[in-house]
Amino acid sequence: MSDQTTSPTSRDAVVVGGNRIPFGKAGGAYAAASNQAMLTAALDGLVARFGLAGQQVGEVAAGAVLKHSRDFNLTRESVLGSALAPTTPAYDLQQACGTGLETVIQVANKIRLGQLDSGIAGGVDSASDAPIAVGEGLRKALIRANAARTPMQRVKALAGIRPGDLAPESPRNAEPRTGLSMGEHQARTAKEWGITREAQDELAAASHHNLARAWDSGFFDDLATGFLTLSRDQGLRPDTSVEKLATLSPVFGKGEGATMTAGNSTPLSDGAALVLLGSREWAAERNLPVLARFVDAEVAAVDYVSGDEGLLMAPAYAVPRLLERQGLALQDFDLYEIHEAFASTVLATLAAWESEEFCRDRLGLDAPLGAVDRSRLNVHGSSLAAGHPFAATGGRIVATMAKLLAEEGPGSRGLVSICAAGGQGVVAILEGC
Amino acid sequence: MGAPPPAAGRPAATDLDVRLLASAPSVARSFVTGLATSAGRPGARGSLPDRRLVLTGVAQDVRRLADYGEVTGSVLSDRLPATWLHVLTFPLQVALMAGRDFPFPMMGLVHVANTMTLHRPVTVGEELTLSSWAERLAPHRKGHTVDLVGEARVDDEVVWEGRSTYLARGKGDGTAPPPGGREDDIPRTELATWRLPADLGRRYARVAGDANPIHLGALPAKALGFPRAIAHGMWTHARALAAVEPRLPERYVVDAQFVKAILLPSTVVLRGGVRDGSGALAVTSRDGSRIHLSMQVRSG
Repeated sequence: MSDQTTSPTSRDAVVVGGNRIPFGKAGGAYAAASNQAMLTAALDGLVARFGLAGQQVGEVAAGAVLKHSRDFNLTRESVLGSALAPTTPAYDLQQACGTGLETVIQVANKIRLGQLDSGIAGGVDSASDAPIAVGEGLRKALIRANAARTPMQRVKALAGIRPGDLAPESPRNAEPRTGLSMGEHQARTAKEWGITREAQDELAAASHHNLARAWDSGFFDDLATGFLTLSRDQGLRPDTSVEKLATLSPVFGKGEGATMTAGNSTPLSDGAALVLLGSREWAAERNLPVLARFVDAEVAAVDYVSGDEGLLMAPAYAVPRLLERQGLALQDFDLYEIHEAFASTVLATLAAWESEEFCRDRLGLDAPLGAVDRSRLNVHGSSLAAGHPFAATGGRIVATMAKLLAEEGPGSRGLVSICAAGGQGVVAILEGC
Repeated sequence: MGAPPPAAGRPAATDLDVRLLASAPSVARSFVTGLATSAGRPGARGSLPDRRLVLTGVAQDVRRLADYGEVTGSVLSDRLPATWLHVLTFPLQVALMAGRDFPFPMMGLVHVANTMTLHRPVTVGEELTLSSWAERLAPHRKGHTVDLVGEARVDDEVVWEGRSTYLARGKGDGTAPPPGGREDDIPRTELATWRLPADLGRRYARVAGDANPIHLGALPAKALGFPRAIAHGMWTHARALAAVEPRLPERYVVDAQFVKAILLPSTVVLRGGVRDGSGALAVTSRDGSRIHLSMQVRSG
């Protein structure tokens, strides 16, 4: 008997392009838009850009962090409402702010294994159209009433509802296990690493200036499609400065030494971003561009619950593991994209990699990973300026990085790092084609 | 569908007096005026108003558009639903019908057919000039029909046209052609089952601004001769079009005939389909024996 199965051979997965809608401020231009509306808009823009109308792609993987229970099949519903063939499979995936990058990893790996020839990955989030749940008491009473077999049981179940149960529950940006908001967690980390207010404001100002320059230069012309009234990111402030940012009062952390303001923290935002991936053959058959090759990825998690590590420090652990597997040094990259959840997150991560103590005690390395050339970091701005619709950030960053690497030339290398709620970090390497 | 020729002696739309409006007329006020002045209208013996109402500089209220989408089953996008453009021109239509120079009492008019042409996708950010006028007073088996025509322009380009045909019941003309939407035209494929709640008319009235009492509740509907509130024909139209939205071509013509009213609450079935830019749809009773809406779509 001959071999009954064929081992999938690994092949390249490449980034063909991306599309996002400009990001809106919470309660701003997309206040009336649902996650499905934004994801469909991003999808239709991508489909139009790459001539995929009526065509079936391998799969669409996307997700949202703030999600209504009715949106359990959000991505599939968006596909059905889009110009893609209705025979395109889709699924939802959620890994907090790592969602977008995790979908890219999923789709890329399936392409690499030969399970897919093409796929679309990304995410969407709306802080404006967030789900409001009924309180636990009301929810449980309604479930009991629904399950009741006799009218008497139903009456009894509903009679158990107390006035206090009627108050709605809105989602909170807090870790369930610590009750602290992400900003409060990060304020601890910033203090621990001695990240100064000035350094944070400088990073924030650079993010706005870099992003504004990228929009002005037309960099996003083939990465974004206007939606509703927006043709640029709504939170972008091209004329901000370190001096202006210095006037803001701290909002996270307490008292003396509090450094985190609304200016150096990402605002709540609305938006969607997607990346088109394929095998080299798939792209070539359609005469589509090939921007970058997906090289490898790694996910790490930290124990922030016990206080051992900061909530958003997981990428500091994921990156060295990825580097080791690939036999690379932190300095072997032409470009770095580190998600700016807060300016201090980026700075604390960089400081950790430079710290002999951290690299020795926490990472078990003989020598620190060393410094990152800051002129190669977030060169076209990042989340502080663009905004951060949680699940959309990965798609925004991967598409930006892929295009930058294509401009940089074949063999150029880029590192993407995204921290996520729950103490997780998703990181990946791309290589210019 | 071949359009009937304009009634003799009617001036072409371009010859009408243009009345530039400062703002969208209030539908509620038009209803009240129309009701208060319904007596003594000449009916088919009269002539149609020689005015074309024009509203310029119309921008979209995205919140209202999103609410409309929620009620009619469409997802908010950059592209305006064709039926939304009807909603925007509706206040102009009603203002014309409420005017004392309109020959029929407004409350007795029944919306029997609608034709819309989307000449190109119209986007949320575009400023529109809307206009409306009345034309084609024509005999019908059950009375007379009159068309209220709407038009949306971006600068000088006509991007959307809508024609709402209203029936004024009266002495019929047995030789007039029968309406479309016969039972043997019903497409068989079942696309979707819709459970329409009792308050659907109120919900649609809120977002579309058509507060005709026959849609608002059983009591006002009874007063006007219906056993229960009835669904807005343009809701049914919008919901059906939204169901096939991803399959619609960029430019299209859609003809709709409102055959039998949907009494609320009710469960109805959407049938048919759109393939390669054209198709036929129908909204029927659950068993398919009664047809509420018949619709044909083709590339424009």
